[in-house]
Amino acid sequence: MPRDQRLAGEELQRLANGLRDEWHTGREVDFEEAIAFHESLPPGKQFAPVLESADRPLLQPRAGVPCLEAQIDLLRYLEQQGGADLLPTTIDSYTRDNEYEKAEEGLAASRNSDEDALNGFPAVNHGVEDCRRLVRALDTPIEVRHGTPDARLLAMVTLAGGFQSFEGGPISYNIPYTKGHSLEETITHWQFVDRLCGAYAERGVVVNREPFGPLTGTLVPPAIAIAVMLVEGLLAATQGVRSLTLGYGQVGNVVQDVAALRALGALGEEYLPDDVTVTTVFHEWMGGFPPDEARASGVIGLGGVTAAVARPDKVITKSPQEFQGVPTKEANAAGLRTTRQLIDMTIEQDIDLAGIDEEQRLIEQTTRALMDAIDRHGDGDVAQGVIRAFESGAMDVPFAPSDAAAGAVLPARDDDGRVRMFEFGDLAVPDEIREIHENKLGKRAEREGRAQSFQMVADDVDAISDGKLIGRRGETDAD
Amino acid sequence: MPRTVILGVIGSDAHVVGITILEQALSAAGFDVVNLGVKTSQADFVDAAQSHDAEAVLVSSLYGHARQDCEGFHDRIADAGLDVCTYVGGNLAVGQDEFEQTRERFREMGFDRVFDAETDPQEAIAALRQDLQLTAREAERARVDS
Repeated sequence: MPRDQRLAGEELQRLANGLRDEWHTGREVDFEEAIAFHESLPPGKQFAPVLESADRPLLQPRAGVPCLEAQIDLLRYLEQQGGADLLPTTIDSYTRDNEYEKAEEGLAASRNSDEDALNGFPAVNHGVEDCRRLVRALDTPIEVRHGTPDARLLAMVTLAGGFQSFEGGPISYNIPYTKGHSLEETITHWQFVDRLCGAYAERGVVVNREPFGPLTGTLVPPAIAIAVMLVEGLLAATQGVRSLTLGYGQVGNVVQDVAALRALGALGEEYLPDDVTVTTVFHEWMGGFPPDEARASGVIGLGGVTAAVARPDKVITKSPQEFQGVPTKEANAAGLRTTRQLIDMTIEQDIDLAGIDEEQRLIEQTTRALMDAIDRHGDGDVAQGVIRAFESGAMDVPFAPSDAAAGAVLPARDDDGRVRMFEFGDLAVPDEIREIHENKLGKRAEREGRAQSFQMVADDVDAISDGKLIGRRGETDAD
Repeated sequence: MPRTVILGVIGSDAHVVGITILEQALSAAGFDVVNLGVKTSQADFVDAAQSHDAEAVLVSSLYGHARQDCEGFHDRIADAGLDVCTYVGGNLAVGQDEFEQTRERFREMGFDRVFDAETDPQEAIAALRQDLQLTAREAERARVDS
């Protein structure tokens, strides 16, 4: 079982040599030459300095298409017509599964037709030089966004290719993204990725790392997401990562979202070492969207308002076409502009919302209980602790497809639309906190005249796409 | 006797919430559900259909790679000598497609029914009852018996 220890330099080298042969582009990776490429980039393309020196939330979309020229055009459009402050390159799902042959077929099919056969940019297949063409062509820093449990080769190729930010982590890219990978395996693989980022940092090239906060994207209780961010932050810091952006996905209740973002920032500062610069990212709603662009823009706008009040360092925007697959570039840019409009109109207002402090205390108390349980499970070693805590169910994530999590926790919204838990499984949450959840959910159940059941969860999952926040049923529908 | 249906997300796709809700709805409607979960290969669908003597295979895909993932699926089903009803549902193409074209394409590939991502579970259940020639009452009775 892996321990939370820094990988030796020779071990990093040995593993990297083995990975080079997984796909032919791995052989193009040359660390010294990569450092030189990064050093040649102007300040405006350096991810961590741009993000960490910003005085307002920076906006970043998601975007990835299979072919290089089309990816350049798409990102340039989002930069110019959307006003993106930071750019992404979203990687296709075959690459995420290390299925480079299938990605190659999809890339070939996309080159030969007007239709895209991949849902993202297959960076490993493109190789180091194509990544650099992309970085050279744009004026804004670019992050690799994906969902890859074993992202070692992807990191080698894209970091050598000039990207300076890399999303993901051993829990956040395992639990929501796989069925069969163990946490032992993904922690080991991500120690390599983080150590590689650390190796760049040692040479003065700070690579920003961003654990994926939204997890399964569906009614995730804030404390669970924050605990995962802290664990991944600690693991990354051990390997020498110096710039960490911790994430959180909007649940749609403004008070709970603001409280969660504040708790995330505060606990990040508290738990992570002083030599790490901690920033936060807010993801606009990650669940099902309304099948109507006008209503979808409303969901996006609420994200903008929330961001203006909570002031995260970065906002990942959604597009009004979210309900149906990869958006057009116009819709993607529209999501950026809608968010910008709402943030800019709201951010200078002094908006006082009742209940944020109390909600933040509850989130912090719950997160600490989970972190204490992880600490106990690993006798002080966070890698072993998180593996054992997921085994015992003391840590858990709702709707987890991975065998590595029990998936016993079931969330539902309370009468205010805040996300609570009605099934805790073996989650390490003290009784007094459970009672708060039970009381709040009990109130909703009573108001709707029905029992807390899976049906309530299913109704809440559909609620926003159906036009509401809370999936209400029963006699109080009308009021 | 309850009718067995196989459920799973095909290919490299990890979108789990939809099939979780579908599983609950199908079980509540009296079906025996074998949920293969996310990232299920064609071979796993066929093996499960064979070993559970299933009458229907429900394929989910949200990430846009359904066409490549489902290529040759019905040949495989035929080769295994299976006589099952097949449905596919979700966001089946990468971009902003016209759903009627997508439906036609997947019908040509051999799927009996093709659903978009907005489909309510009850719609799929009603379709299953019709295609498996079950009356609602039979399904209800099956739930009580099981």
